[in-house]
Amino acid sequence: MSDVVLVETRGLGKSYPLVFRSRDRLRALWHLLAGRGHPESIAVLQDVNLRVRRGESLGLIGENGAGKSTLLKLLTGVLTPTTGSVAVAGRVGALLELGAGFHPEYTGRDNIALAAALYGLDAQEARAKLPEIIDFADIGRYIDEPVKHYSSGMVVRLGFAIVAALRPDLLITDEVLAVGDESFQKKCVRWMEDYLEHGGTLILVSHSMYHVQKLCRQACWLQQGKVAASGDVFEVTQAYLAYQERKSASQTPARDDIAGQGLEFHLLDLALNDDTTDTPLLLDRGGDARVRVRVHTRDGRAPVIMVGIVRADGTPVYGVSTEMDGVRPLQESENVYSAEIMFPALPLLPGTYLIKAHPLDPEGVRLFDTLERSLTIRGQSREFGLVRLSHSWIAAQTSVLADSIPVDRALSAAS
Amino acid sequence: MPALSLALHFIRRDIRNRYLGSFSGGLWALLQPLIQLAVYGFVFVYVFKARVPGADAPGYVPFLAVGLWPWTAFSESLMRATTAIQDNAALIGKVALPRGVLVFAAVASSFLIHAIGFCAIVIALRLSGVPIDLLALPLALCGFVQLFLLALGFAFLFSAVQVFVRDLAPALPQLLMLWMFASPVFYARASLPERYQGWMDFNPFTHYAEFFRATLLHSGSVDLTAQAISMVVALAALALGFAVFRRLGPHFEDFL
Repeated sequence: MSDVVLVETRGLGKSYPLVFRSRDRLRALWHLLAGRGHPESIAVLQDVNLRVRRGESLGLIGENGAGKSTLLKLLTGVLTPTTGSVAVAGRVGALLELGAGFHPEYTGRDNIALAAALYGLDAQEARAKLPEIIDFADIGRYIDEPVKHYSSGMVVRLGFAIVAALRPDLLITDEVLAVGDESFQKKCVRWMEDYLEHGGTLILVSHSMYHVQKLCRQACWLQQGKVAASGDVFEVTQAYLAYQERKSASQTPARDDIAGQGLEFHLLDLALNDDTTDTPLLLDRGGDARVRVRVHTRDGRAPVIMVGIVRADGTPVYGVSTEMDGVRPLQESENVYSAEIMFPALPLLPGTYLIKAHPLDPEGVRLFDTLERSLTIRGQSREFGLVRLSHSWIAAQTSVLADSIPVDRALSAAS
Repeated sequence: MPALSLALHFIRRDIRNRYLGSFSGGLWALLQPLIQLAVYGFVFVYVFKARVPGADAPGYVPFLAVGLWPWTAFSESLMRATTAIQDNAALIGKVALPRGVLVFAAVASSFLIHAIGFCAIVIALRLSGVPIDLLALPLALCGFVQLFLLALGFAFLFSAVQVFVRDLAPALPQLLMLWMFASPVFYARASLPERYQGWMDFNPFTHYAEFFRATLLHSGSVDLTAQAISMVVALAALALGFAVFRRLGPHFEDFL
């Protein structure tokens, strides 16, 4: 990381003109020719101050319509700011939306040439990059077909392959990882990690907190065109997730309403390390997690309490119930039972997880209520997967193993 | 210079784009004005019995050919360039590129194709015995370059305005048709009633039609004052068009 500032915006704002009738367009034309601003406009981005240095990685998060794409377009120079200023140094590679800048009638090969020309390469440099791009895109004979015959995944493959070959100083991408298939996503993420390791600078828009946390060190949360929070990626993503949860909580029935429905068993609260509020729990790698669950029973019978951990995308990590371990929940009052479970030195790898709790009937068959809380493990790791399995390398076999099994094969075998 | 290599790319793309999927390919560029010339030649020579006034006047077909090709380049480039920004809205919305390049490429490709056609027809006419001064061809091509500057000025202006007011593109063919008949393309200035002849000086294209005839066919002489004035007009049009384009350019995305 160096002190070279690649991107700096000051008081950046963008307004779109309100144009309904063709008469408005004529009026706007006169106003602009006379050197005045738009007569009427609606602000989509206000007062954004960003600074990205070489080697940094910034994730832009926020709901749909928060102004993320507009901000990216301002950074790439596609849009002109209404207020404030943008300064971008270095060569920029941008992947905005699907098939950015591809001409549907032309073959993949021709579009590569166009993209290279747009990036500022001459024909000779473009030819030199061609094999690398075709190899990375890996779309076979489709490279000589018109882009209109491509699937959306192929368009993204080609677009990403071009950017990957150009190795820009600054890479700006907009939610493109969401389209490719899983193996290509992995390839892209791996490329980006390598790019960042070698001093590349990244600005990424994504709705996947997993990708943002994996690739970015800084994050900026946009809400209704303004910066709601910016700074360390974990703090910002957690604030954002907490906000999302509060929002969806106000849409799901409240705990009291569920109580009113007269379920046989329902959850009263779920405490993580004695905290019952909705804020996500932040743990360092290898920290302890204590989960306390309180259940209301209608008829005083003791429930079975189940606690589980899933990754943010829903992949289960581990689940266990009181009945499995032969434990009986503690009776606090006639209708309230509680159970507390301790996970010492959690082996989870850094990322965002959910802790879930359910009450089951005493037979452990029927599942009633659900409560979940988010848990974030801080830290950096180059290991793959969900948990760190205890292991040791046996010296004589190490090099043989590493040579014979490629990483992704080893991964798929593991999963 | 990246803008130049980008412009070359777009010119290549534009030329290929026109003939993509047509059997004759680039040949069509020559064929189209040739057919036009044949039709006009037939109608004017055999039906209307048109003649160019003057004692040692050239034949009507070379007279028409020398004026018609530059006009085709001029009018076609304007029609293509006017929608150049609008047609590339998808590209402009996703990639930062100097937008002027798109307009430049549209005008340049039209002029390139028709300049080649112009040379071909001039040489063909000479081979068929028409007394054309081939040595004056390079000089005539300089006139093409100047006409290109004039067209580029109008193209910048029209393409920028078209983004805001979409009525321009559909109205343009009619306007250009009017302009063509108001220019001495099909007729000589001398064929007009005397009191209207002076008005022709206000039409920028008049000079070009007369310039090409004077250099290649030695019909009339090159007036140096008129030459200087038309150069100033071409540069002024370019400056105005570019100024408007630069002023409106940053707002294209908002109105596309």
